[in-house]
Amino acid sequence: MLDLALLAFVAMAMAFGLRRPFVWVLVYIYIDCVAPQKIGWGLIQSVPLSLIAFIAAFGGWLVFDGKKGTRFTLRQAIIAGLLAYCAYTTTVADFPVEALAKWDWVWKALLFAIFLPLTLRTRLRIEAAALMMVLALATIVINGGIKTAFGGGGYGALALLVRENSGLYEGSILSTAAVSTIPLALWLARHGTIFKPDWRVWAFVSGLIFASLLIPVGTAARTGLVCAAFLAVLMLRSAKRRFLYGGVGALALVLAVPFLPQSYLDRMSTIETHSDDESASTRVAVWMWTLDYVKAHPFGGGFDAYRSNSFTYRMAKKTGIPPNETVTYEIVTDKARAYHSSYFEMLGEQGWPGLILWLWLQLLGVWQMERIRWRFKHRQEGTGSWQWGLATALQQAHLTYLVGAAFVGIAYQPYIFMLIGLQCGLWSYVKRTTVEPPKARFRLLDAAERAPAEA
Amino acid sequence: MVDILTLALTHGLMAVALWRLLWRDDLDRDPDGEPARPRPWLRERQVSGDETA
Repeated sequence: MLDLALLAFVAMAMAFGLRRPFVWVLVYIYIDCVAPQKIGWGLIQSVPLSLIAFIAAFGGWLVFDGKKGTRFTLRQAIIAGLLAYCAYTTTVADFPVEALAKWDWVWKALLFAIFLPLTLRTRLRIEAAALMMVLALATIVINGGIKTAFGGGGYGALALLVRENSGLYEGSILSTAAVSTIPLALWLARHGTIFKPDWRVWAFVSGLIFASLLIPVGTAARTGLVCAAFLAVLMLRSAKRRFLYGGVGALALVLAVPFLPQSYLDRMSTIETHSDDESASTRVAVWMWTLDYVKAHPFGGGFDAYRSNSFTYRMAKKTGIPPNETVTYEIVTDKARAYHSSYFEMLGEQGWPGLILWLWLQLLGVWQMERIRWRFKHRQEGTGSWQWGLATALQQAHLTYLVGAAFVGIAYQPYIFMLIGLQCGLWSYVKRTTVEPPKARFRLLDAAERAPAEA
Repeated sequence: MVDILTLALTHGLMAVALWRLLWRDDLDRDPDGEPARPRPWLRERQVSGDETA
């Protein structure tokens, strides 16, 4: 039954695309985020939904869609460069079979990020893509939020829509994505034209934000807490009424703490004392190992190069109640520990060239959004313009992701690459539709130039 | 139950959004059109053309 409903939804959306081919791009965004083929049990799993949607999106754009206003931006070129480089490292990877498996989804994410901005030619399209991303993520987030509120959480225990612990359905990744999406949802509530701002929109967005904040609680992912704290501070920068915002935020936090489950508070307190926690201490060991590894392999080891690592270390284990606490050291051996950091993931897998390309791509995005903010702040519409708002939201989302990325290996996460695609689309749109303030240039006219002006 | 509820909510909203997009002309074309960007290189060419004429 569920299968049929989901298939009917996809079929209906695909049919809409016959009238407006751009809808197929949105269908791909939906399928890539929600993965309806994994939610269903029978029929829907046998249909290659993602492939069909991509072919429709690309073909529709190529054949039916207008190209007026389509631009190829520098960041798309950087992604193309990164894609080509990843293709190369996959052919010489340390673990060819595993590398090929990862390459299989990475190339799609990167290719779609190159493609998406080409289709985002109008304001409404940019908004539609953002709305689709938010609603698609909301499917997972609201579901997880409700389950958390009714007490179904725990690290790796929160039963989301999909049993699999993959893609956006993995706890730490979902926490990071959910928190990063909060600014985007707020932007839609303020500047949306598909769903115009009214009490229903605000009710939905408030609920979504609440659910997004519950996700780090439900999945007990420490990364999510760090992201949420970072975003809260970051939003102070652009808030109109800073003191009010700060006060309400602090009050909400104080009110929320008594409601948090004890297991969650226990786990969060390990952020400070990470020496007696295996997950955190192996992280640091893996990062050190990666630095050593790239000394020998400066061009990286291809996807999943971490599989060759192995650590033996002593882990402090405390037993008893203070002050009668005994600390024992256990010898622990770990093999093939994942990077648990996107920066080290890039460095280990793609070496220095890959890391530099990736960082260039990320930081250029932050910079470009800042440029748009600056440009619109000094215009008539000021900070009330949708462009300023969207640039701010995308920048906040991106910076939050970059913070979360330090603790989770999500360097190629398709959802984030869609966010990058959205940034490229906005950047190209703004460059195209607004006149850049000319740089002031002063010089004295010479006699020949002055003569026609006077005549 | 929760699963069905959330799926129905967000999928309903997505369906409404897509339906509304179908009837919006500004999906494919921005209404006000694009402001003409200054093209200094064209003006220069024109000026040099005038000079030769």
